[in-house]
Amino acid sequence: MLQGAPLPERLVELLPFGSGPLGTAIAALVGAAIVGTLMMTMTAVAGPWAKRKVTAAFTDRYAVNRLGPFGLFIIVADAVRLLSKELIVPEGVDRPAWDLAPVVLAFSALLGFAVIPMGSGIHLADPEVGLVYVFAVASIASIGLVMAGYASNNKYSMLGGLRAVAQNLAYEIPLVLIAASVVLFAGSLQMSEIVAAQAEPLVDLGVVTIPTWYAFVNPFAFVLFIIANLMEIGRNPFDIPEAPTEIVAGYQTEYSSVYFVLIYLGEFLHIFLGGAIIATIFLGGPAGPGPESLGLLWFLVKIWAVYLFTQWARSALPRLRIDQLIEVGWKGMLILAFANLVLTAVIVGVIA
Amino acid sequence: MSLHEPKPLDVGETPDGTVDHDELEALLGETVIGREEHVNAPAFVVRPDEVQNALFALRDEAGFDYLSCVTAQQYEDRYESIYHLKKYDDPTQEVGIVVPTPIDEPISQTGEPVYRTADWHEREAYDLIGINYDGHPDLRRILLPETWQGHPLANDYNPEKPQVVPFRKHANPLQPDTRGEGAKSDTMFLNFGPHHPATHGVLHVKAVLDGEQIAHVEPDIGYLHRCEEQMCQQGTYRHQIMPYPDRWDYVSAGILNEWAYARAAEDLADIEVPEYAQVIRTMSAELCRIASHMLALGTFALDVFGDFTAVFQYAFRDREVVQDILEELTGQRLMFNYLRLGGVAWDIPEPRAEFFEQVRDFLDGLPEKTKEYHNLITSNEIFQVRCVNTGELPPKVAKQYGATGPVARGSGIDLDLRRDDPYGYYEELDWDVITEDGCDNYSRVLVRMQEVEESAKIIEQCVELLEDWPEDEREIQSNVPRTLKPDADTEVYRGVEAAKGELGIYIRSDGTDKPARFKIRSPCFCNLHTLREMTEGEYIPDLIASLGSLDIVLGEVDR
Repeated sequence: MLQGAPLPERLVELLPFGSGPLGTAIAALVGAAIVGTLMMTMTAVAGPWAKRKVTAAFTDRYAVNRLGPFGLFIIVADAVRLLSKELIVPEGVDRPAWDLAPVVLAFSALLGFAVIPMGSGIHLADPEVGLVYVFAVASIASIGLVMAGYASNNKYSMLGGLRAVAQNLAYEIPLVLIAASVVLFAGSLQMSEIVAAQAEPLVDLGVVTIPTWYAFVNPFAFVLFIIANLMEIGRNPFDIPEAPTEIVAGYQTEYSSVYFVLIYLGEFLHIFLGGAIIATIFLGGPAGPGPESLGLLWFLVKIWAVYLFTQWARSALPRLRIDQLIEVGWKGMLILAFANLVLTAVIVGVIA
Repeated sequence: MSLHEPKPLDVGETPDGTVDHDELEALLGETVIGREEHVNAPAFVVRPDEVQNALFALRDEAGFDYLSCVTAQQYEDRYESIYHLKKYDDPTQEVGIVVPTPIDEPISQTGEPVYRTADWHEREAYDLIGINYDGHPDLRRILLPETWQGHPLANDYNPEKPQVVPFRKHANPLQPDTRGEGAKSDTMFLNFGPHHPATHGVLHVKAVLDGEQIAHVEPDIGYLHRCEEQMCQQGTYRHQIMPYPDRWDYVSAGILNEWAYARAAEDLADIEVPEYAQVIRTMSAELCRIASHMLALGTFALDVFGDFTAVFQYAFRDREVVQDILEELTGQRLMFNYLRLGGVAWDIPEPRAEFFEQVRDFLDGLPEKTKEYHNLITSNEIFQVRCVNTGELPPKVAKQYGATGPVARGSGIDLDLRRDDPYGYYEELDWDVITEDGCDNYSRVLVRMQEVEESAKIIEQCVELLEDWPEDEREIQSNVPRTLKPDADTEVYRGVEAAKGELGIYIRSDGTDKPARFKIRSPCFCNLHTLREMTEGEYIPDLIASLGSLDIVLGEVDR
């Protein structure tokens, strides 16, 4: 029962509002609030604290360690600091596009989490087109980037926005194509089905059983997807739309205070959404040793592993140039993604 | 070298590699109206309307392909521009071209068509002294604001006069800007700086972009101009000038800069430096070079990697060790003020063995760290894709712009004053000059990294020498009079190999204890001038990388 029905349906039973339209709506809201809070909390930990700690570890430093255990209270201090700053609205910005962009950025990522099965029964909705939905809402972020870029009335922002669009076009197609190869294996776009399909054992080594996680079944696609995902979330070596040393901060140059927080939040949510997609379609979702109720824990571990990978790349890799990125995207990733898709189709066709 | 055919001699060059100035005078013929003796080399006085003819003859016939510096100054009765010429093949072959212009009509023909680097040098002379250069393509102020009234180093300059700088409140900073190619073009004008994460200080780069590509770029300097030349002119030779050089290239290259002043002033006043002091100077200068190159490496990686991440921190970690050593030696971490005319301020700190061990520890750890840098930076494929064949500076262009130091050596120009115009103790030591033929950003990084290793070699030999130096012969300073008054109208121009290239000092004495004219030839100033050649037609990230690979320090560019 724990895994079966989506979260809101079980909340309907728990909450005293009945199963009418009102009760369903309230249950859905509560469910969304739970997932949203979980993700926001993770972002809060990742942004002001974990990022510093990880970068410091790479460079032999301590980073924040004064406030609270391991410096964790810096999260509170930073939140207060960021939110209490003055919101500077530059002259000539195109409102309301300028105001909407941070909101679009943050919420496009949050929307994606609606269909992610996080284990321990936390799964808001399970539509048949789950995977397509995730990519669709995640791509809304591109609109946010363009809005931020052109509405800021700043040349650096403009360049950042243009770069973001060029980059998005270059990676979106390979990204979806690689995901399509997973769909070929699983035979479904539904997230719960994709997770279930990965539960089968691949090899039984006696002591441990290696499941048919698609990362093991098709490592080629997994590596490709990880690279494409780095492009999607704009981390080194693909942090070209922001490129701090070149175009100052790209599309977010003119944002301060709450708007800056929203953009920052949106970035981290996108990293986590990327991690969640990788975990779901390649790493067996919430699967892991121990009872099924630990699913959420394993799911979070996988997301954080992807997050740490992005931070590692950030610390160790130089940034590509925009024309080189376009080349990698269109001439490299796209062809490899197609090859992977054809190969998968042939293999699945032969086996089935 | 022995495998090469000997190069045919230039006009005015003797077989033993010196300059026959009489032959040069014959070559210049009617353009010459007199001759002066400077301490470094004789100079010809040339008519102001024949400057280009004289310079063309010297460049094309006599092989003087390196315009090291242009010094301008005002006398009671005339203005004077001095072109200090050298040869890239042998910088000890020098000649000066002195161009006097009357006080009421200071117009002199420009040397820009002969040497591109004269462009900026003459702009500076116009800005600070007030000499007009006829035929100069772009005679604007370079260090001071466009609206500045008067020329500060001219004799009649009134410092009390208020500077009226209009506030152009009606100019809309956001209006569509089509500078570069006319009103109908698709280009975009973009300011990099004065406050920008990649300009390493207050540099303003005006760029015209065509999409992501650079259509035109022009560095705008002067934001950090601190009248260093004038301050030096107000200080006494013996003690008051030495602290200033530390503040030109202020990122840990201090002792290298001090040496530039020390060398010029010692030649001017004919001061001997004891050998023991020379060894200490050599060692401390090379420590500074390592620190400076580490910073260059770190900030360049910062520009290409894009964040204050691992590489930057690694470079700083190692620079820190060098700074600790320098602190032990000089008592300072940044503004060393360690050299004195005729020697150094004090001996190696006691206990000496401990100091030498500290240096040795650093040197022993260096090879492993160098390997780490190569693993992390130069062998990284993305780094190579970004740096190889970007920011190209062909040797011919580099020479036209008077590029020196790692920038020139990265373009395959085999010039290092430590070897070619020896001073200090370098001649006695065993080390190599590093050159790379790539002419690109990557070559410049490689040159700096290998130069660190060469510097380590030099330091190691110096430490050995110092350890075995007999205790009663440790003379750290020669006997220099408390007040130095070099003979009136003695002129000297001397350069040393600083971390960024040739740092030259011109001093003219007037018989008092302060210089009448003190001119700094900054390597960063000339190297920055090449930026346009390197970046036009390339992408924005290449502009940033090229700027980083030039390794400029704005304190030295603007002085």
